[in-house]
Amino acid sequence: MTAVAETGTPPEQPDDGRVGISIDGRELRVPKGTLVLDAATEAGIHIPIYCAHPKMDPVAVCRMCLVNIEKFPKPQPACATVAGDGMVVRTNIPEVTKIREGMLEFLLLNHPLDCPVCDRGGECDLQDFTFRYGPGISRFPITEKVHFKKAVPLSEHIELDQERCILCWRCVRYYDEITGEKEIVLQQRGVDTLVSTFDDRQLQSKFQGNLPEVCPVGALTHRKYRFVSRPWDLQRTASVCPECSYGCNINADSRDFEVRRFASRDNPLVDDMWLCDRGRYSFDRWNTSERVRRPVVRSDDESRDVTVAEAITQAARRLREIAEEYGAASIGVLGSSASTNEELFLLERLARQVIGTPHVDHQLEPFDGISAAEHELGIAEIEECDTLIVLGADPEEQAPVLTLRLYKAERKKGARVIRLSSDATAADAAIAASGATRIGLIADETNRAHAAAVATALGAVGSVRRLTITRGINGRGAKDLGLLPNVGPAYAALAEPGKNGRQILEGLASGTMRGLLMLGPNPALEAESELLERAVRKAACVVAFDTRPGIVSRYATVLIPGHAVFEKAGSVTNVEGRVQRIRAGLPPASATPVETRVLTTLAGLMGAVGWGSGDPLAVNRLLRDESPAYGRAGNGGRALFTAEAVA
Amino acid sequence: MAEYKLLTKDFGADGLQTLKGYEKVGGYQALRDAFKKFTPETLVAEVKTSNIRGRGGAGFPTGMKWSFLPKDVFPRYLCCNADESEPGCFKDRYLIDESPHQLIEGLLIASYALQVNTSFIYIRGEYHDQRLLLERATEEARAAGYIGKNILGSGFDCDVIVHGGAGAYICGEETALIESLEGLRGQPRLKPPFPAIKGLYGQPTVVNNVETLCNLPHIVQRGGEWFKALGTDKSAGTRVFCCSGHINRPGNYEMKLGTPIRELLEEECGGIWRGQSLKAFQPGGGSMQVLLPQHLDLPLDMNAVQEAGSSLGAGAMIFMDETTCLVDVSMRLVDFYRHESCGKCVPCREGTYFESELMHRLEAGQATLAELASLADICSNMDGRCFCPLGDTATWFVMSAYKSFRDEFEAHCGAGRCPVRAQATALVA
Ligand SMILES: Cc1cc2nc3c(=O)[nH]c(=O)nc-3n(C[C@H](O)[C@H](O)[C@H](O)COP(=O)(O)O)c2cc1C
Ligand code: SF4
Ligand code: SF4
Ligand code: SF4
Ligand code: FES
Repeated sequence: MTAVAETGTPPEQPDDGRVGISIDGRELRVPKGTLVLDAATEAGIHIPIYCAHPKMDPVAVCRMCLVNIEKFPKPQPACATVAGDGMVVRTNIPEVTKIREGMLEFLLLNHPLDCPVCDRGGECDLQDFTFRYGPGISRFPITEKVHFKKAVPLSEHIELDQERCILCWRCVRYYDEITGEKEIVLQQRGVDTLVSTFDDRQLQSKFQGNLPEVCPVGALTHRKYRFVSRPWDLQRTASVCPECSYGCNINADSRDFEVRRFASRDNPLVDDMWLCDRGRYSFDRWNTSERVRRPVVRSDDESRDVTVAEAITQAARRLREIAEEYGAASIGVLGSSASTNEELFLLERLARQVIGTPHVDHQLEPFDGISAAEHELGIAEIEECDTLIVLGADPEEQAPVLTLRLYKAERKKGARVIRLSSDATAADAAIAASGATRIGLIADETNRAHAAAVATALGAVGSVRRLTITRGINGRGAKDLGLLPNVGPAYAALAEPGKNGRQILEGLASGTMRGLLMLGPNPALEAESELLERAVRKAACVVAFDTRPGIVSRYATVLIPGHAVFEKAGSVTNVEGRVQRIRAGLPPASATPVETRVLTTLAGLMGAVGWGSGDPLAVNRLLRDESPAYGRAGNGGRALFTAEAVA
Repeated sequence: MAEYKLLTKDFGADGLQTLKGYEKVGGYQALRDAFKKFTPETLVAEVKTSNIRGRGGAGFPTGMKWSFLPKDVFPRYLCCNADESEPGCFKDRYLIDESPHQLIEGLLIASYALQVNTSFIYIRGEYHDQRLLLERATEEARAAGYIGKNILGSGFDCDVIVHGGAGAYICGEETALIESLEGLRGQPRLKPPFPAIKGLYGQPTVVNNVETLCNLPHIVQRGGEWFKALGTDKSAGTRVFCCSGHINRPGNYEMKLGTPIRELLEEECGGIWRGQSLKAFQPGGGSMQVLLPQHLDLPLDMNAVQEAGSSLGAGAMIFMDETTCLVDVSMRLVDFYRHESCGKCVPCREGTYFESELMHRLEAGQATLAELASLADICSNMDGRCFCPLGDTATWFVMSAYKSFRDEFEAHCGAGRCPVRAQATALVA
């Protein structure tokens, strides 16, 4: 036994900002201000909750979490009671068992018990807690329950079943506290209380898809997931939302080789467990059967399906021929913001070191004067700023979940969020920010040059940190890894800048350039279809990886089927430089090896040595060895390149 | 006569509802005295000395409540609770009807003591006429310089706003009142923080009952010591009791605290009607536990009634004669709570519904003994588990009646009809 038992006096506790609490006999010390609920979780003791939510303020309405606390006259809600020093909490006594049985009995009185046809069956807190803590029998002698409306469409995305609702208030608080939009309200009172939208209006929010996830039961459901699957029939793959550069963590849930939904996967540093509707409901884009499935080799008069090996051999031979005949600088190399870091890392080396061309890019726009400082501000660090300046609507349109972080900074930290037009002058911005000390400046990458000028002016007001919203799931990685004409990996200055993406395509179209190696799919290029088509038709050699049939697959001289984001492993880097893993969750559309393997083989045929197996994990190790910033970031950390950040 | 008239002394005086009439009986002199004789601090101390306890139901010492306000946090707000929706309560309405200015004067005295520059009277939606009366009275008082800037040259500013509720019992609960006043759904707030720290618009706030405030002019004029000596040790002063039920003279009676309940019943209410005898009574209003004839000798004292297992609550007295079916009364009260539950928390929202469905079966003689037993268990799952006292108290009367009249409850099981009513009908016939 400890000294306490021997001497009878408790040992002196230093004031370390913690309090000692005992839960079911387990002693632990938790930071002051910790809720009993969270202390219990830390002690490994489960307390059932309905209304409490990790991202919302307590309301203590469901009374499911009531626990016995010594010296309190009646049971207290664990979700709203702050742990006090010396507090003795009990959850494993008959009193608490009876409370839970009682609450579940109440909740089930008017519950329709739709479980067999309810989308939440199998992942429903009402089912689960009833199994675990419920009374087992019903004592209610009345067979007719109170009825409400079922399957009410609240929007194109969300359906509400008012009968299944247990009135936990989470959806109402979600709109109050997380988005600030207040779209769902409570109406009526007593046993007739129901949630609905005011005046039956349709939901307008860009973040509706989070509702079914905050709802603990099957009251709010996704219309796109209605009657689609049971959770145990889903295969869950931890990944990153492919829709934008913000990098929200997701679970891609698939069944029968199709993605059925994206579910949020809480990363407090990035998404804070929220997804936007554009991202969440984009999942079915990945189920298309229109895919490039076989390698093809084309010459002027024929087009042949070939083996991968032959395709790679042809690619190496043709690129070499062009280089020999017209010089390596007649070859352009285009990566994509949709590629993984591992692919881009290999492609950059292949371009500059093996082929020897300076013409490397991943998009069309010129990227003059790019500096690491323009994406120094981290997403979570937004909450550390007292003033946030957002230039134009683009940042929040590009990366919608950013809006929720801004609102959190506003609501929880009292930050000022100032939205200016994208061309607001530097002087205007400085006036708007007057009084600020820690400024966060957020702009879209298309507006980065102007943002730099604004940042300089703001520097006279307070300290400024910038966040640039890059485009594409891995637009940031492409820049970090040197897929730019004017900087190399890690933003290293280049003696001779190469041609940018547009210049490469124009060069090909006009015949001043001859060959193209491109890693697709590349949405930025596809958006300029006319130029792209002229370029690839005119080029003597186009070695292309692509996933979907289109201009590139139609005219490429060597076409290699690519892997879509859920068919391969690797890492992508979000706006703030956070390196996050994606994983293969769907079978690939073709038998072709993954891009990193093909690139490695191709490089080998072109004379490179020591590139290893090309396995994505092995490439990742190479990348981390080569790039100190990525080495430090590891998996889940931020790759930072500014001197201060590195120090 | 057993009545002791302090607040109601001048009731009935000519034109008392008007400013002139109120001034004629010495109205607003107390406000002048307050400014003259007291600083805000000494006035709070005087109210503490008086020992007055809140008349809104919980009986919390008013002076102590006032002293919880954090120093130097302004603005602060004062809300007069005129929501009076407790079954059996109609004293606040009476106090307003007869003398609206007495309430306004009390409100201003409290505002001065608490250094509040904006005070609210939150009045029950159904008290439409009383709201108009108060609005007229505040207009008069404003015109006469009792409300507004630099009142009576004291340098103290105070505005008074009369706000009508929409008719929900729960809005009498102080935090629900505050929510409703802010324009939100009338539902209680999570405590802490308590209103004294963060109340209306996030500022320190005091909520006091109409009757509590009506006492203040008298405490100012006669002194805290005098008031304290009136009534009993733990229950100083008088209270206005709303008497209803099977009595000869229902109405409001102001009694010195400590007077035996029997005196109230026999001398003021004229005893039980139709020569019948008392079966049970409910002090305090619909929330409180049932008492029996043997409790008639209890003094009207908050502690004494509490020790007997009930409470003086909000000052109602509902007397029931021998023909009354306690199951029927319980059913009606439970229906009231089912109707008034705000729906915020599970045990009250679903529990009152469960209770009421069972009580209807029981009163109709359809319930089984097992259902009766489950009723008691359901009540135990509600009491002490709810978010606010409404849900807890929704079980108190029925549980106390079940305990005191167990045979009567059991006789209903499987009887096919209400046995008590059947008997009463037989008696009459
Ligand atoms: C459900 C419920 C209803 C209440 N209704 C009233 C009411 O109508 N009037 C009132 O003065 N107090 C009411 N109260 C008590 C108030 O919460 C509060 O305690 C009181 O207004 C304080 O005033 P006092 O200190 O002057 O008594 C109610 C409490 C509850 C829980
Ligand atoms: S919400 Fe849960 S308990 Fe209710 S029907 Fe759906 S699965 Fe069943
Ligand atoms: S719809 Fe869902 S989240 Fe909203 S209150 Fe009902 S149960 Fe809770
Ligand atoms: S007990 Fe709960 S449901 Fe009932 S009135 Fe209070 S908060 Fe509302
Ligand atoms: S989880 Fe604590 S009351 Fe609902």
